[in-house]
Amino acid sequence: MNTIRDRKQTPFEQQAHSLCTGAFATSAVKNGSRIFVAHGDGRVRCLNDDGTVDVIEAHRGAILSLELDPSSESLISGGDDGKFLEIDPDRGTSAEIANFGSRWVDHVAANRNGLRACATGRSVHIWRPGASKADILEHPSSIGGIAFGPTGNRLAVAHYGGATIWKRQAKRGWQRTLLRWAGSHIGVTWSPNGQYLVSSMQESALHGWRLRDQSDMQMSGYPTKVHAWDWCGDEPFLITSGAAQAVCWPFDGARGPMGRSPLTRGGSENSWVTQVCTLPGTRAFLAGFENGSVMLCDLDEDGPAHILRHATGAEVTVLTATDGLEMLAIGDAEGQVLWSRLARES
Amino acid sequence: MTRKQIPVTLLTGFLGSGKTTLLNRILTEQHGRKYAVIVNEFGETGIDNDLVVDVDEEVFEMNNGCICCTVRGDLIRILGGLMKRAEKFDAIIVETTGLADPAPVVQTFFVDPDVAEKTALDAIVTIVDAVHLESQLDQHHEVEEQLAFADIVLINKTDLIEADVIPRIERRIRAKNPYARILHTTRCHAPLDTLLEQDAFKLERVLEVEPTFLEDEHDHEHDDDITSISLHANTPLDPDRFRTWFGELLREHGQNILRSKGILDIEGEDERYVVQGVHMLMNSEHLGPWPEASPRESRLVFIGRGLDDLDLQTGFEGCKTA
Repeated sequence: MNTIRDRKQTPFEQQAHSLCTGAFATSAVKNGSRIFVAHGDGRVRCLNDDGTVDVIEAHRGAILSLELDPSSESLISGGDDGKFLEIDPDRGTSAEIANFGSRWVDHVAANRNGLRACATGRSVHIWRPGASKADILEHPSSIGGIAFGPTGNRLAVAHYGGATIWKRQAKRGWQRTLLRWAGSHIGVTWSPNGQYLVSSMQESALHGWRLRDQSDMQMSGYPTKVHAWDWCGDEPFLITSGAAQAVCWPFDGARGPMGRSPLTRGGSENSWVTQVCTLPGTRAFLAGFENGSVMLCDLDEDGPAHILRHATGAEVTVLTATDGLEMLAIGDAEGQVLWSRLARES
Repeated sequence: MTRKQIPVTLLTGFLGSGKTTLLNRILTEQHGRKYAVIVNEFGETGIDNDLVVDVDEEVFEMNNGCICCTVRGDLIRILGGLMKRAEKFDAIIVETTGLADPAPVVQTFFVDPDVAEKTALDAIVTIVDAVHLESQLDQHHEVEEQLAFADIVLINKTDLIEADVIPRIERRIRAKNPYARILHTTRCHAPLDTLLEQDAFKLERVLEVEPTFLEDEHDHEHDDDITSISLHANTPLDPDRFRTWFGELLREHGQNILRSKGILDIEGEDERYVVQGVHMLMNSEHLGPWPEASPRESRLVFIGRGLDDLDLQTGFEGCKTA
């Protein structure tokens, strides 16, 4: 896409590789020094640091969810074609794990122990390593999000009326703990130490539970729904989208964010943060905006944020950085993808 | 950057009215458009260009204290997903089950910011079975609600009844809904371009509202029947008094007021003030000057239950400037 720019390109824009796919970037994962972006045309694109792209044909409709299976280093994906797929990124091939027909596979997740899960409608299907049949976990309503805990075989599921934590026990199978909170929960994330569970809500707020005693934490004040989050720093902070600035909640101490105010970082006039992504191993993170701009922010610096990419008009829908910071990628709703290592001046 | 919002048609109708027949036509006809159809247990796949999505209707209460703020959670999820597809749709059609109240679907478009940004409610199309409508109206309140919300009513199966019954059916529909466009069909054979992509929910379309007035057509068989009331005023309305009265009315009685539409002449304002409400939720806007030819007057229509008890006429009169 050629656009006439009336301002100087940022160093990142100058050196980044760029691809216009024409298909909404729906999700992205990193593995080693590579980044994989899932798109609305059913393809997964592997972005290489020499600027080349390997295209993997995966789904027949939009890819709704893409994750790395840390036990096998393959990718797993769910699509609106009803398929739950395993993708071999080296061969560029995909294989069907399950097919749900006209039901969408909205969410997928995997953990280090080789468990693989997908959510379709009100059910979560979990495959244990070597098992031919899935365990099916039913819920009272459609599932807003799933996430495996950092340790053990625990799966958190967000739904209407709260969240459910499933724990697998050798003899008794999957046991559930229901964490109630009125309203519709549309996403869920565990704190890295596994002590807190946080959900995103239809009512443009976050809700948290301290798992030790199931005490509730309300994190409200967002003008829009929180669709993206990441954990950053050693405290750590939960950095979130959904407002004009990135909103960062502290989870240190015994009480986490209870009774405390969040930090706000970055910011853009007339635009909301739609994506956030921690630069691994640092206290810096990226915030992507509805207007297409991307800023580099720092938990410890409240000054003006560094602009990595100017506004384009297309919502940032994907932001990822590899663990060694070899590469970071930006994807948007118009299908534009930019990727590069961080520029020296950045 | 404002992108075009994709129009969404809500298709309602009691069991056996002919919704499936219409959906089959949409999916098989050579219309040259690309539609996505969201259905419940349809059992058909999209032919040609169209996409069929199966959902379970899930009505959620919003946790924000508004007692009638129920939304369709499944719709928020599916509409969000459809926006990610590489292919773009000309329109989306949402079918509800025969027993569904249309309000949660409509409220979803008012309440959910993501849905409101990318899609727009286009029209509520209600199909009725000409043979069974009268008995269904007496037995199932869902039929009344589906009529009350309709922008377009399709009287289907007219070939199966005597021609002189049709005016009676129309009168009963008009008593519940004075402004819906009524079409007569057999096997849902109305042209698709009279049903889809109609922009009926745009505030601009409220300007065309010419409610049909019925003389003494209060066929109150039950106290909880849905009826409509149309109010008129030739003197301008006081802005503060109107907003206070209308706001309190929707807040306190929004559960019983299903829909409201009005074009208002506000004192001291040169433009027409247009309001449109669904239960407690309301949109309003100033929509250009009064046309030279037509007189400045206020018209306000309510559709709901127990309207007689709300003293709407007195309340409206009280908004007039002295």
